[in-house]
Amino acid sequence: MANQIPGNLYYSKEHEWAKIEGTTAIIGISDFAQSSLGDIVFVELPDVGRKLKLEESFGVVESIKSVSDLYSPFSGEVLEVNSDLVNSPEQINTSPYESWMIKMKLSNPKDVDSMMSASDYKNYCESL
Amino acid sequence: MKTSLYEKHLALKAKMGPFAGFEMPLQYTSVKDEALAVRNNVGVFDVSHMGEFFVEGKDAYKFVDHIITNDFLSGEKNKAVYSPLCRENGTVIDDLIAYKLGPERVLICVNASNIEKDFSWMQKQLGNYSVDFSNQSDKFSLLALQGPKSEAMLLDLGILKDRNLPYYGVMESEFQNENLIIARTGYTGEDGFEIFCSHKMVNTLWDLFLKNQALPCGLAARDVLRLEVGYPLYGHELNDTITPLDSALKWTVKLEKDNFIGKAALEKYSPKFQLVKLSLDVGIPRENYPVLDSFEKEIGRVTSGTMSVVTGKGIAMALIEKSKMPEKKDFLINIRNKFYKANFHTKPFVSGGHK
Repeated sequence: MANQIPGNLYYSKEHEWAKIEGTTAIIGISDFAQSSLGDIVFVELPDVGRKLKLEESFGVVESIKSVSDLYSPFSGEVLEVNSDLVNSPEQINTSPYESWMIKMKLSNPKDVDSMMSASDYKNYCESL
Repeated sequence: MKTSLYEKHLALKAKMGPFAGFEMPLQYTSVKDEALAVRNNVGVFDVSHMGEFFVEGKDAYKFVDHIITNDFLSGEKNKAVYSPLCRENGTVIDDLIAYKLGPERVLICVNASNIEKDFSWMQKQLGNYSVDFSNQSDKFSLLALQGPKSEAMLLDLGILKDRNLPYYGVMESEFQNENLIIARTGYTGEDGFEIFCSHKMVNTLWDLFLKNQALPCGLAARDVLRLEVGYPLYGHELNDTITPLDSALKWTVKLEKDNFIGKAALEKYSPKFQLVKLSLDVGIPRENYPVLDSFEKEIGRVTSGTMSVVTGKGIAMALIEKSKMPEKKDFLINIRNKFYKANFHTKPFVSGGHK
């Protein structure tokens, strides 16, 4: 199974990646996640301004045969959503790390401490 | 349980999953590529989990005609019949295909999840019929070679010897000194064949088909394909609590034929449900999502839903309470508490190319 894991990102057990820029986080799903899901055909993302709690579901990705929730790895507010993905969800399969889903303002930057590094995430994927 | 091709599925890195007690390949590469291979080219499915019963003897046809709702007697020899199998009260035990192999020999292919239930039910109906009835599911493997190029492949390989085998026709054929049962049936809406054979032969055939560019296809693609052409699946559109008349199978209930199990009940029955085909412009309907009328009142549930790989739209079948059927056929589907307007279809979402 394809599993690219860029070193500059943080990862959650739910297979989201996050890029941290100060108190802002950019969030998507990992290569492992897209590969497990198969052909992604539908994405539902939250409205800008929505306040998310830690681990709250903020949207869904659907493959032909399955529906998966997206869970927020942080608490905070949605600043921006990538509406391009709604029109061409297959981008997530071809370039998962360019297919960001939401940008968030972190309300508790310490949430980042519970994320995995690239090397920890690699071990985590191998343990599944 | 494992089919005889289990190791080959693992070697192909198939995503495996449990289905009716078997570890089955759900997908190999991509559901989309697999489904499109069957629509446009040729794909092969391991469906060895399906059940095979044999009815042999003088009364073989009469017995089968008695237990199924469709007409088994008047069809030509070497043809198969699709039918529900019903209880006395008209509810559906299973749906099946019965193949006329010879004047006193019938093969019945049933759903894997219902093998035990069907076999014990049928055994209880044997009465005074002069037949031998056996469950030979353990002895047979089954491959479905499906798609517009399946006929040419079978002819080239010398497996199919008669290109005039009609849709729903069945024949026995010898290949590498073994007897195969080949039927022009399938569950995809495309031209295609199902080949019943030994566990040893299935390995030979699988390798031959793959070598000749048939794409291995999993159960996920199979489900998309059957839904695109509107075929029911037991456990979804059919179940133990409803009759064939609730689920768009009136054409398989031949009330004009002589007595059959369920006839009296079905003659009097007025359906509680109607099976409808719905599509969405946005979103994907999934099993058990509520279906609403235009007043946002729940009137039924989605029984199967998926994204169609051909139309690129969400498609579904749904059982609607007949008394609540909207006159204008305007439906909404509730997806995560948002209501999406659904299009009503009278024809299959995709017209398959079968003969």
